[in-house]
Amino acid sequence: MNERLRFIWRRLLQGIPTILLIIIACFFLLKLAPGDAAEVLAGESGAATKEYVDTLRTKFQLDKPVPVQLAAYVKNVLTLDLGYSFRQGTSVSSLIASRLVPTLLLMGAALGFAIVAGIVLGMAASNRPGGWVDQFVSVLSLLAYSMPMFWAGLMLIVVFSLRLEWFPTSGMEEVAMFHEGWTRVLDIAEHLVLPALTLSLFYLALFMRLMRAAMLEQRGMDYVVTARAKGLTERQILTRHVARNALLPIITMIGIQMGNLVGGSVIVETVFGWPGLGQLAFDSLFARDLNLLMGIFVVSAVLVVVVNILVDITYTLIDPRIKAA
Amino acid sequence: MTVGLVRAIPKWIATSLLLLAAAATAQESGGTLRMVVQPEPPTLALYRSTANPVGVVGTKIYEGLLDYDFSLNPQPALAQSWTVAEDGKSITFHLQKGVKFHDGKEFTSADVQFTLMEVLKKSHPRGQITFRDLQAVETPDPYTAVLKLAHPAPYIMRALSGYESPMIPKHLFQGTDLQTNPMANKPVGTGPFKFVEWNRGQYIRLDKNPDYWKKGQPYLDRIVMRFIGDAATRVAAVERGEVQYAGVSAVPYIEVPRLTKGKKVQATAKGNEILNPMVDIELNTTRKPFDNPKVRQALAYAMDRDFIVENIWYGFGKPATGPLHSSLKATGLYTTEGMPDYARPDRFEYAAKLLDEAGLKPNADGVRFEFTLDLIPLGQEWRRLGEYLQQAYAKVGVKMHLRYEDFPTWLRRVFVNYDFDAMTTQTFHQADPVIGTHRLYHSGSIIKGTVFVNCTGWSSPETDRLMDEATVEKDPAKRRAMYHELQRELAAAGSVIWVNELSLVTVYRNEVKDAAYSPLGTMSSFDRTWIAK
Repeated sequence: MNERLRFIWRRLLQGIPTILLIIIACFFLLKLAPGDAAEVLAGESGAATKEYVDTLRTKFQLDKPVPVQLAAYVKNVLTLDLGYSFRQGTSVSSLIASRLVPTLLLMGAALGFAIVAGIVLGMAASNRPGGWVDQFVSVLSLLAYSMPMFWAGLMLIVVFSLRLEWFPTSGMEEVAMFHEGWTRVLDIAEHLVLPALTLSLFYLALFMRLMRAAMLEQRGMDYVVTARAKGLTERQILTRHVARNALLPIITMIGIQMGNLVGGSVIVETVFGWPGLGQLAFDSLFARDLNLLMGIFVVSAVLVVVVNILVDITYTLIDPRIKAA
Repeated sequence: MTVGLVRAIPKWIATSLLLLAAAATAQESGGTLRMVVQPEPPTLALYRSTANPVGVVGTKIYEGLLDYDFSLNPQPALAQSWTVAEDGKSITFHLQKGVKFHDGKEFTSADVQFTLMEVLKKSHPRGQITFRDLQAVETPDPYTAVLKLAHPAPYIMRALSGYESPMIPKHLFQGTDLQTNPMANKPVGTGPFKFVEWNRGQYIRLDKNPDYWKKGQPYLDRIVMRFIGDAATRVAAVERGEVQYAGVSAVPYIEVPRLTKGKKVQATAKGNEILNPMVDIELNTTRKPFDNPKVRQALAYAMDRDFIVENIWYGFGKPATGPLHSSLKATGLYTTEGMPDYARPDRFEYAAKLLDEAGLKPNADGVRFEFTLDLIPLGQEWRRLGEYLQQAYAKVGVKMHLRYEDFPTWLRRVFVNYDFDAMTTQTFHQADPVIGTHRLYHSGSIIKGTVFVNCTGWSSPETDRLMDEATVEKDPAKRRAMYHELQRELAAAGSVIWVNELSLVTVYRNEVKDAAYSPLGTMSSFDRTWIAK
């Protein structure tokens, strides 16, 4: 256990330069985008005097040279200060904090569903390759894999909100009702279904295919023959040995896809009006609210790093041959 | 007997008609209005931003000295009466008595003085122009405010709505930084609705102000304003009834006919009479061949404006005839007299003739010249406008390329770098040309780096003089004549092509009543809006 703690600690330390590199790269990328926050604010107003834009720019500290801005930013981040969103008139950390929970909820639900359903369907499909279950699963995965996310979201809205009227079209809760307690939880769950399903479709397809392939591969291994010779039932072999080994590529994939998941949530949150980080990032990009955008990048980077550490730890739990080192 | 019956009938009819009329218009109190605001406002500081969503939220909370009817005549609001002095250099406002801010403090002339002199004149994007000649606001007593002007400024009387010039509480703002004052995002005003909470990314909640100075109003108990970033989802939310009201073209024009077909949703073009949006093409006259007025005029003719209005804006608007919006007809400033007829049947031939005269002959491929049109990225309508114009201009041998970039990039290209041939945009002309129109043509408005001002590079001493004189002219007849002259001069110059007047569309479900009762449309206070149960 002690060894494991040391491992986590070391990985966290390794994460710091990664995050710093991400900050610097993002900073310059954002600076390459033409236009700045002051112009956008003035532009949205439909009219503004030169003095107005100049005052804004001074206030936003956009009048300083870029290296100075970068140095100031990195220094602030190192002291865990993400700065101030001049556009929104509040601190970046409070904005992100209020949006982080909805995003984690959405991503967690989508990922959870994709993993569970992906594993179950993948296992079912691998049971009899070429059988009708397998056929069904491969058509399903092809569909889920190839649908553009925003389109899938809109189609789900058309079918399940407008036609069947099962789920609300958008938002995280019925805002005019101001529910509390369990009714609020249920209300949020009801709003969560369609966006989480939309976000999960791609990963569902991915995990299904991966699981099916891994199961088929593992079932041909020598240890399966050994287990069978030992007298284990087919069910025991499948769940205890084959599935356990087949899970490893899935877990690797979760780590790799984490960044993509953050990207996918931008689209899903925008389509469903889900009040998360993705939508905030989308809005602040078009407003050139760089402080806020950088803050979101930093938090996303941390999220990805943390998930990858979790993935590494999960490896060692599932497969004792892998050492946390 | 017979006589009595005959006499009785009209009376009976009249009574029942009256009853019917009463039943049809009796406002019901109570209920929550769920509306969508697009996009989410960056701030609620209406006194320093004129952005549409800020206006939509802020006007429920803050009020102005005046309201306006659909002919743009001033109506009492926080000022119950007013007099303009003979020389036009002082305007006296008599304020309503007993008006309280949402925190319980009384609204007085000191608030008027503070708002106009310290806030709007100094940091409101348009107020800095509108109140340029305002020298002082005198407050002889708490209910009288006297505006002292260096020159007559007739346009001020059209700029005092709650949207354009919101009155803010002096006691909460005096001596603070307007940018960082927490009241910016927790607004306190005198309006019919109180700010309750802003849950970023989700909604803003406003509750009825029970102490509102208009007795019995507002009718709504609550307004919840939701933010839905995706246009298709907004449409679905209206269709499903999750949202009852979507203004300022939050629903794309292309969806309006389908939505209103189901008889549960209505759409109106009313409520644009103060903003007066117009679709323009602005030409960079410092670049060839747009330095030649004949080329500019040719492009103004070579299109079918009726087609554009019907097929791109789905009938919400009408062809433009000149630099002023036709809703200014009521003020007498707008004219078609002596203006070119852009709808002439031979307009394409005429455009080709003008291009010939400008010496731009078609080459072997039939192309006279090429240029790029930078479309303002406000949605699919603008792309379609570009695609139509591409075809229309091809008819007269002009090859046009389209460029569609994101908003900050577009702003920088057009207004900071002047790196464009031509661009298309929407201009809010406002209730008076001084506030919304001069900026496109005046030499003093060619300010590099300032957005939505004269980016064409064109001006002339003659038009500058007309605008300067009209700004301070207090005789309405003379002022009209000046603007009529100005319109003809600008048409001859052709630095801006006026495509069409645009009506921002308001879509609402049937249960929402008095949804568009003011020329401010979605930016009215909603004090008269109600919901039928």
